[in-house]
Amino acid sequence: MRARLLLAAAGAGLALYGLALLLTRQEPRQWLEVALWLGAGVVAHDVLLSALVVGAGLLGSRLLPASWRAPAAIALVVWGGLSVVAVPVLVGGGVRADNPTLLDRPYIATWWVVSATVVLLVAVTGFLRTRRAHGEG
Amino acid sequence: MVTSRLRLPTPDSFTSRLRSPAVAARVGLWLGLCFATCFVTGLVSHYAQQPTHPIPFPTSPSWGYRLTQGLHVTTGVAAIPLLLVKLWSVLPRLFEAPPLGDPRRLLLTALERGSIAVLVAASVFQLATGLLNAAQWYPWTTFSFRTTHYALAWIAIGALLVHVAVKLPLIRDVLARDIDDTAHDRPGAREAGALSRRALVRTTFAAAGVAVLATAGGTVPWLRRVSVFATRTGEGPGGVPINKSATAAGVEESATSPDWRLEVVVGGTVAAVLSLDDLRAMPQHTVDLPIACVEGWSAQGTWSGVRLVDLLRSAGARAGDVVVTSLQRAGAFRRTTLPANFAADARTLVALDLAGEPLALDHGFPCRLIAPDRPGVLQTKWLARLEVDG
Repeated sequence: MRARLLLAAAGAGLALYGLALLLTRQEPRQWLEVALWLGAGVVAHDVLLSALVVGAGLLGSRLLPASWRAPAAIALVVWGGLSVVAVPVLVGGGVRADNPTLLDRPYIATWWVVSATVVLLVAVTGFLRTRRAHGEG
Repeated sequence: MVTSRLRLPTPDSFTSRLRSPAVAARVGLWLGLCFATCFVTGLVSHYAQQPTHPIPFPTSPSWGYRLTQGLHVTTGVAAIPLLLVKLWSVLPRLFEAPPLGDPRRLLLTALERGSIAVLVAASVFQLATGLLNAAQWYPWTTFSFRTTHYALAWIAIGALLVHVAVKLPLIRDVLARDIDDTAHDRPGAREAGALSRRALVRTTFAAAGVAVLATAGGTVPWLRRVSVFATRTGEGPGGVPINKSATAAGVEESATSPDWRLEVVVGGTVAAVLSLDDLRAMPQHTVDLPIACVEGWSAQGTWSGVRLVDLLRSAGARAGDVVVTSLQRAGAFRRTTLPANFAADARTLVALDLAGEPLALDHGFPCRLIAPDRPGVLQTKWLARLEVDG
């Protein structure tokens, strides 16, 4: 218990140091935008993304045949994680006309190819699993 | 009927056994390791960018900063799928009713949930701003990325330590049991998910691996072909990409002017004024050194030019900290300090050539600084002046 209290106290100390850094090295109008971004991140995850994933789970469990659900869940985790990581290059907000060495890949075309491949893999795996389940049943 | 449909969910609305401490602890362990690596490598990078180093930053190995900053960005990317699944696995707890009848428990619950709110907000902020910075996209208008990312790193790691302290007995017990053990499950978690817990955890690790492979080519050359979502192909003049172009720095005219000269100032007086031909007439040396940017990309280059120590010695200067000024008219890194141990290193060059060709304008023509084990932003381009104490 003492070790845990020490750990918690150390954590609180580090976090307060971070807060002090933020408040002393940025102006109040900058604090406001940081706070806005902090809040927006939580809303984007806890409300938007969570609702989307819960929706996908509900749809999947109602619409997909049982043998398709595992491949679809695996695909959603891998494809979803990859897509979130790729958002900045897909949107391309950092593209600059004077720097052709930055963001110099065909990101959007690649994302469509990746997405189509994932759908195809789920369909093929699901189909094979269904057939095997029936064959063995 | 409609009102009952619109009611907020309760923890029991989530029936999948996958949303469990067994999954959260296993994914969380690796997420914690990623955060710890990000934090330590971030501190290294922040220290390397300080103008003065109370403890000298080492010049060897030359690829040290390339490694730490590559790890920083790579573990940050790996943390994104891990964080998403971690939060997914504990989502039902967001809807737990507060213990309103018991003031003491209410206070403790409020404190714990407050610390979780700070942890989630800081984690999402750090991963999102880091990812955006790597793609050089700055959609915010007022705050400084570097200052804020640094301050929030302390808040995130502090909140993480508090979270681990609160959960430690649960984490230890859950990890000691089989992954399918139900002792710590929510009472409402009664249905099997689409996958087994083991498969979900493995899939999450695979997702982190795929995200890394798809982006790490910017710093791991042999991954370039598979890193389809890397911010760069790695192409560029002399095989080295560009971070800031001459146009963006506003130096196109001054850098190509026939009147360009490199000033060496010793003890406040101009000790030497060198043209490009003067520099070419001095003994030339060739070194293989990486450019490693804070944004996480890096590339090895073969640089040729004059050794900084030779240049300073010829101007009659003693070794010491060197203040390096660029032709750039603005920017936080227009004027930087090269610490004495970097200035004294024989590999530190005032480079004129890259890969056997004169420097491209975007790489810092007529000459740039290249030193071992330094953040790319401090490898000053378009040199105008070098200053040392007498």
